[in-house]
Amino acid sequence: MKPGRMDKIISDVKSFPSMSNMPVKILKLIDDPQSSAAKIEELLRYDPGITANILKLTNSAYFGLSSRVGSVRQAIVLLGWRHLGKLVVASCVNAILDKPVPGYDLPAGELWRHSIAVSVAAELLAKELGISANDEIFTAALLHDLGKLVLANYVREDLQAIETAAGEGIPFHAAERRVLGTDHAEIGARLLKSWSFPLSLVKAVRWHHDPDAAKEPRAITDLVHVANMLCLMIGIGVGREGLRYEPSQAAAKRLGLKTRQLEFVASQTLQWANELSEVFEAGQANVGSPPATGAE
Amino acid sequence: MRHVVQVGDMKIGIDGDVVVTHALGSCLGFMLYDPVARVGGLLHAMLPLSRINPQKAEANPYMFVDTGVVRLFNEIYNRGGKKSRLVAKAAGCGRPIGNNEMFKIGERNYTVLKKLLWKNNILLDAEAVGGTVSRTVHFYISSGKIIIKTGQQETEL
Ligand SMILES: [Fe+2]
Ligand SMILES: [Fe+2]
Repeated sequence: MKPGRMDKIISDVKSFPSMSNMPVKILKLIDDPQSSAAKIEELLRYDPGITANILKLTNSAYFGLSSRVGSVRQAIVLLGWRHLGKLVVASCVNAILDKPVPGYDLPAGELWRHSIAVSVAAELLAKELGISANDEIFTAALLHDLGKLVLANYVREDLQAIETAAGEGIPFHAAERRVLGTDHAEIGARLLKSWSFPLSLVKAVRWHHDPDAAKEPRAITDLVHVANMLCLMIGIGVGREGLRYEPSQAAAKRLGLKTRQLEFVASQTLQWANELSEVFEAGQANVGSPPATGAE
Repeated sequence: MRHVVQVGDMKIGIDGDVVVTHALGSCLGFMLYDPVARVGGLLHAMLPLSRINPQKAEANPYMFVDTGVVRLFNEIYNRGGKKSRLVAKAAGCGRPIGNNEMFKIGERNYTVLKKLLWKNNILLDAEAVGGTVSRTVHFYISSGKIIIKTGQQETEL
């Protein structure tokens, strides 16, 4: 490890352009039994960009609404509270996750597509397994690789050493840790913690490559772990690391996951991931259009 | 012309075309070529068996190895391909680290392909399968040349 680098990485975490504090505020409001659609609408009124994105998502084929929604209040009524949090978070983080990620060799848009796909897969897995899906699962999955954005330049700088370490057959995040003293899962968790995201979400991000190392097992962590592995395997947002991570046997067991269910979820993920990730690129006219396949 | 094959899709190329697919992880890339008719197809299939999701298979047979490979053969025959001349190659079917059976989708994809070919008396002429890498395939139809890229490395298949 180079001297002083850990300090530099930490200072990068501190100065990382914070995304708007909107997601955390909205997640709190949704949790609060006293809150109302009007309160949320009021909060969003100051951010027309996010409002526009929420409406685009609401009108995407993913939610399958038959009529076009024109206001946040209407969206809440039609979709229910349950979906609102993830719509808000996805709308807020699109701009951050859409960037190219050097070091990991992800071209612009790929981390976004990967993040959305992992969210979709995690929700589908939860549904298959009869685990009640909540906004937190979707959001944790959406943000699981956030740390890559901070670590990208460090990974690029020490690529040779990291590749050499990974060449011994250890998972890529373990190679990051060996060379840099930290890994993208830890950095992502630090960021989210500093933005006051709920602890279970922070933990899911922290242990997304190593769920067995978490102090207490949680379904949300296991779901993000499995969903991430699956999306890499089917080639959505797979970067320089390829498939060099290790799926946990114990996580699959804790979830009660069967091979058949894993494959079924794979077959469902692609279409919805494309549908959702392209909402932002396609602008207005994406309502009910057939989902495009894959990305180039 | 350059055709790009997305996950769960197949494209046919004719003389002068190049058919490309990206990010083959555990998915199967299957290339079928008739050097005389100068026609070739590239399949990028995600899962081994269509029975996992018959509804999806109906809408998109190329998502699955069993339905996708059969379709690809038929498409090549329809365009003048002859079985005796066909060259078949495979790429992808990778896997993560460790020995978790459930996540060996790549291996299962490969097994289903081999069974299908064996039943039809066809041998794979070349393959770049397994391992933990993600692969990109460039398939040049004029020559039948196939280039596999993994990271910075390029090899001819
Ligand atoms: Fe990760
Ligand atoms: Fe990931």
